[in-house]
Amino acid sequence: MSVTPLLEVKDLVAEVDGKTILNGISLTVNPGEVHAIMGPNGSGKSTLANVLAGRDDYKVVSGSVTFKSSDLFELEPEERAREGVFLAFQYPVEIPGVSNMQFLKASVDAVRKHRGQEELDAPAFMKLAREHCKELKLKPEFLKRGVNEGFSGGEKKRNEILQMALLEPDLALLDETDSGLDIDALQIAAEGVNALRNGARSFIVVTHYQRLLNYIVPDYVHVLAGGKIVKSGGRELALELEEKGYSWIQ
Amino acid sequence: MITPNELKQQAQDRLQQQPSLDWLQLPAKAQATFADLNIPTRKTEAWKYTPLTPLLNNTYFEQMAAGEVDADTAEARAGKLGDVSRLVFVNGRFQLGLSRFSDLENQGIITLFSNANDTQRERINQELGTAFEPQEHIFAALNYSSVEDGLLIHTPADFSVQHPIQLVYLSTNEASSSLAQTRVLVCADAGSSLELIEQFDSLGSTNVFHNHMMEINLHANARLTHTRLQVEHESLTHINGLHINLAEGSHYEQHALAFGSALKRNDINVNFNGSNAYCRLNGVFLSKHKQHIDNHLNLEHAVPHCNSDTVYKGFITDSSRAVFNGRIHIHKHAQKTEAHLNNKNLLLSKQAELDTKPELEIYADDVKCSHGASIGKLDDKSLFYFQSRGIDRATAEAMLCLGFVNEMVEQFPNDAIIELARQRLAEFFNDVDKLNNLWSLE
Repeated sequence: MSVTPLLEVKDLVAEVDGKTILNGISLTVNPGEVHAIMGPNGSGKSTLANVLAGRDDYKVVSGSVTFKSSDLFELEPEERAREGVFLAFQYPVEIPGVSNMQFLKASVDAVRKHRGQEELDAPAFMKLAREHCKELKLKPEFLKRGVNEGFSGGEKKRNEILQMALLEPDLALLDETDSGLDIDALQIAAEGVNALRNGARSFIVVTHYQRLLNYIVPDYVHVLAGGKIVKSGGRELALELEEKGYSWIQ
Repeated sequence: MITPNELKQQAQDRLQQQPSLDWLQLPAKAQATFADLNIPTRKTEAWKYTPLTPLLNNTYFEQMAAGEVDADTAEARAGKLGDVSRLVFVNGRFQLGLSRFSDLENQGIITLFSNANDTQRERINQELGTAFEPQEHIFAALNYSSVEDGLLIHTPADFSVQHPIQLVYLSTNEASSSLAQTRVLVCADAGSSLELIEQFDSLGSTNVFHNHMMEINLHANARLTHTRLQVEHESLTHINGLHINLAEGSHYEQHALAFGSALKRNDINVNFNGSNAYCRLNGVFLSKHKQHIDNHLNLEHAVPHCNSDTVYKGFITDSSRAVFNGRIHIHKHAQKTEAHLNNKNLLLSKQAELDTKPELEIYADDVKCSHGASIGKLDDKSLFYFQSRGIDRATAEAMLCLGFVNEMVEQFPNDAIIELARQRLAEFFNDVDKLNNLWSLE
């Protein structure tokens, strides 16, 4: 019996300021799968994640992306989020004056409403947010601070995982979640991600280093170079890359 | 519309008819100063972007304002700030029945000029009018030209006033346009400390011109935390002078929230007279519709080893107009000064206008200073971050706007003041497209 893919990327070409960054990417992600996208700097890894999330700095030139059997590019970024696409940012922005709690609540309200779920009242939401904070070893005060304001690199990344946990996406795009993290912070973030693996939720893990994949074990590894997938394989491909470097592939 | 000269004549005629306290020395001098000065026009540098049209179009000088407010209404506008000593003024006139400050009155800390004893009179004559250059402030001269009454807040040496002093100035809509003048002199003796909350508010539309003066003299090591909420109806014309003398080791901190109106102008002048003094000015101003708001700050670093930090944020939308002028003046002998001034603005409409001028004048050679201003729209990266979390663009824009303002408000001295400021902000945003009802997201 064939499975309907969650995400199907076909011959995707995208550019920024007239420069082609993605040059014909094809990728199929089935429910429950974890795909790692690896590649040298400038290979287009982050661009792929951002294009899928709907950032308008990038112009899609050709190709298609089908998400849950619908055209993803027909949707505004907020509609993609409500449909279940989540991007964990490489560099989450700081928003002073808006508390993390306020931001999370507005976000969860919007997504739950779209999914026909009941809106959580403030106490219920607080309780839920606090539980997730605890799992991610974040102090409750963390919720009262401005969004990402003055957070350390590790706190910012854990805040992304916290949001992911609250929004319960179908497809999570992790954009270099490991960058700027020490080994302890990396483990906490990875545990947060692993806790969300449930056989149905899919992940695209964008990373430069194999290290993260020791903690978030992928089903497939793709190597991106020059805006194209140049090699795909299983987990062992990541280990091979670590040993031999990217020049071996290019 | 009358001419500036006619306005000046009307003002002089009005004030000559008003009684002044006979023991007070300042009015005679102020009258002479006022007579010498011209009403500012667009050609006057400090008033270049601030037309006095509402003063020329209204007959404010035909009479002094009167009017009453009932206790419940006054209470509601004053808000719930916990334990405070409260003094209420309606259209410039002190309202004993709406005020409660007997403890501080008995201790001689708060006194109306009209009740001042000989020592207090001497103090007022000594200190009133010392914190600014008379020739540069025509509306101060106007204010002091006739002084029927005033308020003295005097903290004796090493005395800490336990609860904040709340001054509430209410404006109402009267039968015809009128003039309200208030003045407050704060003398904090060496080592004393106090907290002051000033609220300028109105009961709906108002046809009053409120000309307010506050002078603050912080003596050695005295400390003052000062909150100013200028949240009146947009029909008000309000000119506000705040002039501060800082002696050695004194510490002044201000948190200000101001809404635009027909004409609103704040002049803040800070004189560093003794070393190791500190001044922090934290302000946020908002204008919508066709409002005007003008903040003029001047920091005179005349002596060494003093620091100042100034951050003002502006939120300007619709067809409104805002002016910011912040000047740091480091005198030749003011070595080891550290002074920073920044003005950040969010300009949300093509019809809105902001004129900002941060100025840094340095005559010393061993100082650390910075000044800057920015004008921008909402940040695209921040908007995308919100959208990527399922929040629609309109809500994202609204939340970013509120965040911009809230970043300043959340630094206000305590939760009760923050809450009060947010209530008034909710009223302000209520008729700003897309921003209504969002403050409740907190």
